Amino acid sequence: MPKTSSYEKLRDKWVKRHRTLSKRLLTRHKDSIEWLKTHSKQLAVGSAASAILLTSPVGSTLGPQQASSFQTTEQIGRETFLVSDLSKLVPQEVRELTPIEEEKLANALSRDFGVDVKVGINGIRLNRTYGMIGQEQHLARFPQDTMDTHFDNAKDAALYAREGMAPGLGAWRYFANSQAEMTEEDKLREKYYIAVPTFIAPGFNTHVAEYRDFFKYRKMILVNPDNGKAIIADIGDSGPAEWTGKHLGGSPEVMAYLERVDRTRVLYFFVDDKNNKIPLGPIKLVK
Amino acid sequence: MNKGKHFYSHLVDTSTISLEIGNMELKKEERVHLLSLAESNIHHAIMDAILSELNEEDKKKFMEHLNIDNHDEIWKLLTGKIDNVEEKIKKAAEDLKKELHKDIKDL
Repeated sequence: MPKTSSYEKLRDKWVKRHRTLSKRLLTRHKDSIEWLKTHSKQLAVGSAASAILLTSPVGSTLGPQQASSFQTTEQIGRETFLVSDLSKLVPQEVRELTPIEEEKLANALSRDFGVDVKVGINGIRLNRTYGMIGQEQHLARFPQDTMDTHFDNAKDAALYAREGMAPGLGAWRYFANSQAEMTEEDKLREKYYIAVPTFIAPGFNTHVAEYRDFFKYRKMILVNPDNGKAIIADIGDSGPAEWTGKHLGGSPEVMAYLERVDRTRVLYFFVDDKNNKIPLGPIKLVK
Repeated sequence: MNKGKHFYSHLVDTSTISLEIGNMELKKEERVHLLSLAESNIHHAIMDAILSELNEEDKKKFMEHLNIDNHDEIWKLLTGKIDNVEEKIKKAAEDLKKELHKDIKDL
């Protein structure tokens, strides 16, 4: 068995202590931290409001001028490398990307996340791949699904009930015919759904049925270019309307994981998952 | 706005940890990682010490100032609300540093 190095021993101890301290902080000051998460705008690289308290402060103060011993660099986090890479490929201005930019990003994300990321599949694509995401509400998964029946446990209810249930159904109606028939996949499809404006996809008006079938629960990867977090989501609804100024919407769980608030930027590309092997939910960088 | 250091940097001397890690036979990236972990641990201890002294309303104000790194407003708030806040921050950092030093010594 290989000998554990001093570095590994110390690292493991300090990571463990870090987790304990984070947990204690979250437990003792939960209300204030939750409040900040919902009320503050997100800042630069990786510094969502909650992260200011829960991650190393090095992570929120990048800069070469920080030469003190403890302000070396936080580029040790692999997500930070991704953020750095993306900053070269993603314009600060939220605009439609050029085909070259889209292709470069699809290649970079495929490499970084180990999935087949594409701008379009079978000639079908959305109107854009980079835009402002909006906060969506939960969708009813079966008739009589309410906020009382929506969550598997109290923790999820505490974290995600605030957004409430959308008054209407998703674009594909219910996810299951009844609570008894609802599968784990149905649950995940609602939990990690996004709404995209399928109706303005190029070619939609002349291929409505084909496009509808294509978009239904189609998997996409969403990436927050400011912190490198990514999630595999599915198209569960159609929208938002163009006049809202938003380009897509995310379920409460999607938004929380990405650490995005209403009208903040994300990348969204298709994931080619022919055999339905890629699970919905957070996705990590490949090692 | 005060980018580049923490609002408590002038109170917390971390050089002893840096020196000890500097004396260990480590790769550069390992040293960097350990230093950042040490800083993160100290930061959390300080945050906990401060938040534990504030009421809910003041916690929110504090976090708002912290969020935008406004050191002046942070200190205005902390000195007005917490007795001997500087000593409390120093103590939280020192207590945590003792633990970190012990971890290094125990290797």
